[in-house]
Amino acid sequence: MEEPPLREDEEEEEEEEGEDGDEAGPEGALRKSPFQLTVEDVYDISYVVGRELMALGSDPRVTQLQFKIVRVLEMLETLVNEGNLAVEELRMERDNLRKEVERLRGEGSAPTREVNLGPDKMVVDLTDPNRPRFTLQELRDVLQERNKLKSQLLVVQEELQCYKSGLIPPREGPAGRREKDVLVARANNAGGNKEEKTIIRKLFSFRSGKQT
Amino acid sequence: MAKKTYDLLFKLLLIGDSGVGKTCVLFRFSDDAFNTTFISTIGIDFKIKTVELQGKKIKLQIWDTAGQERFHTITTSYYRGAMGIMLVYDITNGKSFENISKWLRNIDEHANEDVERMLLGNKCDMDDKRVVPKAKGEQIAREHGIRFFETSAKANINIEKAFLTLAEDILRKTPVKEPNSENVDISSGGGVTGWKSKCC
Repeated sequence: MEEPPLREDEEEEEEEEGEDGDEAGPEGALRKSPFQLTVEDVYDISYVVGRELMALGSDPRVTQLQFKIVRVLEMLETLVNEGNLAVEELRMERDNLRKEVERLRGEGSAPTREVNLGPDKMVVDLTDPNRPRFTLQELRDVLQERNKLKSQLLVVQEELQCYKSGLIPPREGPAGRREKDVLVARANNAGGNKEEKTIIRKLFSFRSGKQT
Repeated sequence: MAKKTYDLLFKLLLIGDSGVGKTCVLFRFSDDAFNTTFISTIGIDFKIKTVELQGKKIKLQIWDTAGQERFHTITTSYYRGAMGIMLVYDITNGKSFENISKWLRNIDEHANEDVERMLLGNKCDMDDKRVVPKAKGEQIAREHGIRFFETSAKANINIEKAFLTLAEDILRKTPVKEPNSENVDISSGGGVTGWKSKCC
């Protein structure tokens, strides 16, 4: 009961060890500037105060006072601890900022164009041959043209097949047909397949019967 | 002058996540071939295949869309002209199955109201890597009142059946009439500037 209940025990040992090294002794802590106080100093102070309280004997009033003093010392311990941590953090922050300043000074010679991009923006490497460079509309147009040409090719192929099979005599082809096409059709017609002709003819007779 | 080699023209559309095999499904149907190398479709492409159903020659113009989100605005403009839409997922890719509802919403937003829909669970040859049970596909199809097939473009399972069934469903809804006098034309889908190729 005589000793302050909390960390006092452990710290006492440390104090005893440190006593030789620290010339001021535990009392020295009381003379320090409050801004330089460490947790160890607080423990020194509590040691000194505890020792003097014990010397006062076991008067119940002293015991009452002792509890309050212990509480105040605990508060002081917390404040000193927090203060030191904050100082340490600020020191690290300062060191980092110093380094950052030095780095930026070093880069200062080369022009840095750090663009602050929005969340929907993207950086394009202009030296990348595969970089995106066409718009959606351009792609849409190209695709439409591709598909149009593809379908025209299919139509032409079908038409050619008709000529090949002799279904449409070249001379009866619609006016305006280019001579070259007719010649090609004629040439193909010469080697026309009889079997093919009959199948397609059958199909067409079905239609022409309906249309007329 | 009419050299029309078909009676009806049906426009179909393939949609679904990137990499589920839409292009392969189409390639199997149109060319009866399969290619293992994955080449992402750029925007939109199409193939033509003529089939015969109930004595009618039906030209299927099948639009193949890019599944990648970045082509979304291009691909959705092609929904409008479609008479049938095949929504494809990959049975080995759970995410592609989860996204079905997203694709169905796209259909609701961009396609004709009476468009015929069909759900395909592709890559069914890869049963060892399956993560979507067949029953789950059947269930979601039932919930939305659409047909469902598990397909494999690689092993040629149900591909032709799926396309023919979709074409039949559209044919059933098509009013019987004289063959229209339209030329062999390909318009590039509803929302986009339509055009007709001149034949003859």
